[in-house]
Amino acid sequence: MSERVVGEWTLAPGSPQLVLQGVTRFYETGAETVRALGPLDLRIAAGEFVALMGPSGSGKSTALALFGALDTPSEGRVLLNGRDLAGLSLDALAALRRREIGFVFQEFNLLPGLTAIENVALPLELDGQPLRDARLQAAEAMESVGMATFADRFPEDLSGGEQQRVAIARAFVGPRTILLADEPTGALDSVTGEVVMRLLRAQCEKGRTVVLVTHDSTHAAWADRVLHLRDGQLVGLEGTP
Amino acid sequence: MSVRHGLLAMLAEETVHGYALKSRFEERTAGAWPLNIGQVYTTLGRLERDGLIEADPGSEVEEAHRGHRWRITGVGQNELREWYRSPVGDDPVRDELTIKVLLAIADPGTDSSEVVHRQRQATMQRLQSLTLKKMEVGLDEVAEMLLLDSLILRADAEARWLNLCDERLRARGLP
Repeated sequence: MSERVVGEWTLAPGSPQLVLQGVTRFYETGAETVRALGPLDLRIAAGEFVALMGPSGSGKSTALALFGALDTPSEGRVLLNGRDLAGLSLDALAALRRREIGFVFQEFNLLPGLTAIENVALPLELDGQPLRDARLQAAEAMESVGMATFADRFPEDLSGGEQQRVAIARAFVGPRTILLADEPTGALDSVTGEVVMRLLRAQCEKGRTVVLVTHDSTHAAWADRVLHLRDGQLVGLEGTP
Repeated sequence: MSVRHGLLAMLAEETVHGYALKSRFEERTAGAWPLNIGQVYTTLGRLERDGLIEADPGSEVEEAHRGHRWRITGVGQNELREWYRSPVGDDPVRDELTIKVLLAIADPGTDSSEVVHRQRQATMQRLQSLTLKKMEVGLDEVAEMLLLDSLILRADAEARWLNLCDERLRARGLP
């Protein structure tokens, strides 16, 4: 396996891509301060597939938001490809989310006024790529999730499983190397959910890093490593780190 | 389930020699239940005794070195149909894991949460290993896929039960 270029950084396979150092996240609820996560130390390697499990309120989604630079820790540091996110401006964080991180949610969040391929191409266009290049890359992404023939359909004409496949294509299109998925199978039946898990696993086999939040053990089992969170703390892990 | 109904199901498809039944049964059930050949011949003897199968006339003379070919009788067909119609019964709770956790809770010298945690790790690893096998099975290999689905969902049920144990033990403040 050769080295992979991630943005301006060169990552050797297995090198840490996401690092949490002493990360804690507090929330203020009225006069009370609630600790939602941490303190947490964690390293996720490039190309690794990690599942985060735990009951409601255990801190899974808070951790994912921190990985994705959607939130900032109250204490500690989050490093992505060696960069401390705390040192980045809001514009730089937005650029990082567009170029390096893809998100997949339970609700597919496709824009209803755009066709499937336009949805997939949109992040690239927003990032300033020429329309033609964006469409070419989007077509490749659609092909790799088995949705090439659905490219010109609107979301309302697609099933839930098909919409989620488009959402996955949108999440990894372009140069992105990290996929963050929050209960991506929550709205799907078992067989369709498995199709989605196979696609996420396939992305991992191609060298992308996947972090999956799920409450479903059968989906977590697709990961290389399963982390259990409880009350914001890691309480157990399975699989090979 | 007894081997008896498994062999009847094979013989309902076609008349075959005893030695072929073993491999055919294992193929149909995706290797989930390996049989030994002695078991097959003993069961065939009992099925014949009960009138559920009979030797195919002529097969012994033609192929004496391979033994009889066997075929299902009308009584055997009825027995098989009845078996397919009858729901499978529920086993009483006596699996080792359940009993071990119950005993651990009652034993003041044992950390029952640790018992649950260790088992959850093992169960999750079993789930990962089964899922890894699933990645290697083609979507058109239905028997293998259904067997893995069955094993995965059983392991999932165990994992869910262990999570519930963990939550209930914590709620009650048990170690």
